[in-house]
Amino acid sequence: MKRDHNHLQPNPDPSSLRGAPSTGKAKVWDEESAQQDCGMDELLAVLGYKVKTSDMAEVAQKLEQLEEVMCNVQDDGISHLASETVHYNPSDLSTWLESMLSELNPPSTFDPFGAAGTAAAALDDSFLVPAESSTLTTLDFDNINRKHQKSGQQIFEEASCSDYDLKAIPGKAIYSQKTQPQTHDSSSSSTPTNVKSEKRFKSTSGPPSPSDIFPPPPPPAAASYGIPTASTRPVVLVDSQENGIRLVHALMACAEAVQQNNLNLAEALVKQIGFLAISQAGAMRKVATYFAEALARRIYRFYPQNPLDHSFSDVLHMHFYETCPYLKFAHFTANQAILEAFEGKKRVHVIDFSMNQGMQWPALMQALALRVGGPPAFRLTGFGPPSHDNSDHLQEVGCKLAQFAKKIHVEFEYRGFVANSLADLDASMLDLRPSEVEAVAVNSVFELHKLLARPGAIDKVFSVVKQMKPELVTIVEQEANHNGPVFLDRFTESLHFYSTLFDSLEGSVSSQDKVMSEVYLGKQICNVVACEGVDRIERHESLTQWRNRLSTAGFSPVHLGSNAFKQASMLLALFAGGDGYGVEENNGCLMLGWHNRPLITTSAWKLTNKTTAISQ
Amino acid sequence: MAGSNEVNLNESKRVVPLNTWVLISNFKLSYNLQRRPDGTFNRDLSEFLDRRVPANINPVDGVFSFDHVDGATGLLNRVYQPSPKNEAQWGIVDLEKPLSTTEVVPVIVFFHGGSFTHSSANSAIYDTFCRRLVNICKAVVVSVNYRRSPEHRYPCAYDDGWAALKWVKSRTWLQSGKDSKVHVYLAGDSSGGNIAHHVAVRAAEADVEVLGNILLHPMFGGQMRTESEKRLDGKYFVTLHDRDWYWRAYLPEGEDRDHPACNPFGPRGRTLEGLKFPKSLVVVAGLDLIQDWQLAYVEGLKKSGQEVKLLFLEKATIGFYFLPNNDHFYRLMEEMNNFVHSNC
Repeated sequence: MKRDHNHLQPNPDPSSLRGAPSTGKAKVWDEESAQQDCGMDELLAVLGYKVKTSDMAEVAQKLEQLEEVMCNVQDDGISHLASETVHYNPSDLSTWLESMLSELNPPSTFDPFGAAGTAAAALDDSFLVPAESSTLTTLDFDNINRKHQKSGQQIFEEASCSDYDLKAIPGKAIYSQKTQPQTHDSSSSSTPTNVKSEKRFKSTSGPPSPSDIFPPPPPPAAASYGIPTASTRPVVLVDSQENGIRLVHALMACAEAVQQNNLNLAEALVKQIGFLAISQAGAMRKVATYFAEALARRIYRFYPQNPLDHSFSDVLHMHFYETCPYLKFAHFTANQAILEAFEGKKRVHVIDFSMNQGMQWPALMQALALRVGGPPAFRLTGFGPPSHDNSDHLQEVGCKLAQFAKKIHVEFEYRGFVANSLADLDASMLDLRPSEVEAVAVNSVFELHKLLARPGAIDKVFSVVKQMKPELVTIVEQEANHNGPVFLDRFTESLHFYSTLFDSLEGSVSSQDKVMSEVYLGKQICNVVACEGVDRIERHESLTQWRNRLSTAGFSPVHLGSNAFKQASMLLALFAGGDGYGVEENNGCLMLGWHNRPLITTSAWKLTNKTTAISQ
Repeated sequence: MAGSNEVNLNESKRVVPLNTWVLISNFKLSYNLQRRPDGTFNRDLSEFLDRRVPANINPVDGVFSFDHVDGATGLLNRVYQPSPKNEAQWGIVDLEKPLSTTEVVPVIVFFHGGSFTHSSANSAIYDTFCRRLVNICKAVVVSVNYRRSPEHRYPCAYDDGWAALKWVKSRTWLQSGKDSKVHVYLAGDSSGGNIAHHVAVRAAEADVEVLGNILLHPMFGGQMRTESEKRLDGKYFVTLHDRDWYWRAYLPEGEDRDHPACNPFGPRGRTLEGLKFPKSLVVVAGLDLIQDWQLAYVEGLKKSGQEVKLLFLEKATIGFYFLPNNDHFYRLMEEMNNFVHSNC
């Protein structure tokens, strides 16, 4: 990939034979991936479209069919394709075109109220629990003492459910069709319009699994497909940083010295950085300061203390949540996918690996409450690290959520687990119910990468997740490779990543929020740069890397569609300084970025093969 | 109606390779979905469908890129450069040294197409095109992420283009040659070509030196219907109907297509006589329905006493340069390469 090409020659693409140049400068564009093309047309792949050469004629035919249908139908006929249809993964041209064709020519045998639906309804009746009851249980892994709910605890009040900005999630987010929110009346009204719109939803939201169509994803070496690979390093400079380039170079020189164990030089450079940083303004100065401090810790072997007091780290987390849209985007997009997966399910169970203050769940519960046909019974199992004081943090979170559930008339059950690592988890602890009875979604926001610090941990967790037989697994992770084997590479990647993050915070209105967020991120920087081995938990990896891990572990992608995209965009528009933020669709995943630099990615997954989800 | 469409589809399929036909037809289809009959635009759907790629400071096939944002305006430029000969310098943004102190390295300020409405600097089709340009022309390319219509009408795109030009001219790290200056060319396809023209006019009036303009089937028009528009309407991916839509979305409300932004040498246009306007390379695709306007533009430049070379590619359709699978692509690259190096 790192080759200097001086020659250019036309690609001997079989599909282009008709128009192939026969004269003149016959030069070939030397694509390194020629041998890895998995049958894909390489020229289109580089432009973001995955079409097998052997499928080209068929795709062309679909285009022609669509053109014809669109000409024959009134304007209204296609406008709904734009405004109401949910689109998925536009890179997969064949499937995308097919889904639109079936939109315009719905198959006649489709029955949204098929046997499966009625059977489920019959089962549910026997499990029906009196409305408005919520049960609350906590199993504290380390400490079986229960604490009574503390009233007036400041941390939680800042995230009080009534303050949760549901306006940020417009009504349409709750369902994917353009119907008005129904009343809380749980009796489902199957008017003709409901049937029609639900049918439309179903025909587009359930595309054939891409894994049925596509070969397994190419190995990361296929750099020339134009999709970000592990070795893509996007850099965005804000003009103020032009002057800070010298500072960046000094930081990198210092990191290089550290890498080469030239500690005298490194020490000298770290001091120099301190001086250079002072003359900078804004984000650059702060980022440089954090990185310099982390380098100093590494040089002097003065490693960061044990993880912070839990309540303080909660405070930081909260401010980060308020200041910038990253966490909100993560929660929002994950919830959207979970909502879709829970369509039609009467009992649902969310297993949250990233419970924290439970901020993700009120919005989902609200959306479920407003669902056509009434809310399902909602069970939540949350995981979190142990607290350093004696407070039963997870219990408190659960109580708050239970109160909220009661207010909105959602049957609610809760269980909290305290564990040092997700790898300590076993499926047997979870009281899992049969999947025909209860649909499970597993959710992880910025947690999975921590497991990469310990060999075998991630595989153990994947295997446990499979035993949960989830409908859906939602994963949100930082879009960066901070886990490479070479220290200098990790340093450089994270320097650019956090520079961009800090830059995005500059526009924040509240300076206290900003400072707290910077401290929050600063701790991550310190971990990436100064720690090693099991202590280095901020082992972020890119989407491509996670895709490989997940597909190897037996998961297949579930695509997030244009509805989630649109609503995420609307969410971002609500943030001051929202101009720089952007959502991008990448093969069914959604990425949030700042000035075109993707920073976090939400992806959704399901079991490739449900029947073989046995423990390994 | 359906019958005539069948004829149209078959014709366009005959003149381009199949994968090109698929690519451009897909754009046509998805753009149809995005434009609303009432003149509004489904921006969310457009952003969702657009295939994007991030910048990459690590060289790929001899080219690396990074984004630059003007903090005050939010204007983003994506800079593409040839990878340094010395591998030790890979992955590092150097904003201190000039490109060269001995040789001239052309800097091409590129305005992507999309009829003023679609695409971005980081759209995969344009990112790929710019990378190819860097390699073939041994140039630095700066792709401007100008504001688009209908949210931002005339003259926003020109303003952004002008701001980008000024930014490029003032970067010491883009200087080259013994005369230590930034050797700038303006280039663009479709609406980008139109922007290049108008930015060049502004530059000439402000005495800012631009060494050349490259207009790739530039987007021009006018109120009257020309012969080529009537003959080729709907035949090769593009219709008059959509052209009209995009002009209505870009031009100030209530204006018609004789507005000088659209028709620079038309009844409301002006001569460029006496202006120190850069030499131009105008590339016209023989199957592009607006070629008469592009040819009229060439005539207009000539009448103004300006230097212009016309590259007429008889059998080319719009978008021929997205895939390097046809003769026209290589012809274009050769001409562009010569154009940006002919001054040395």
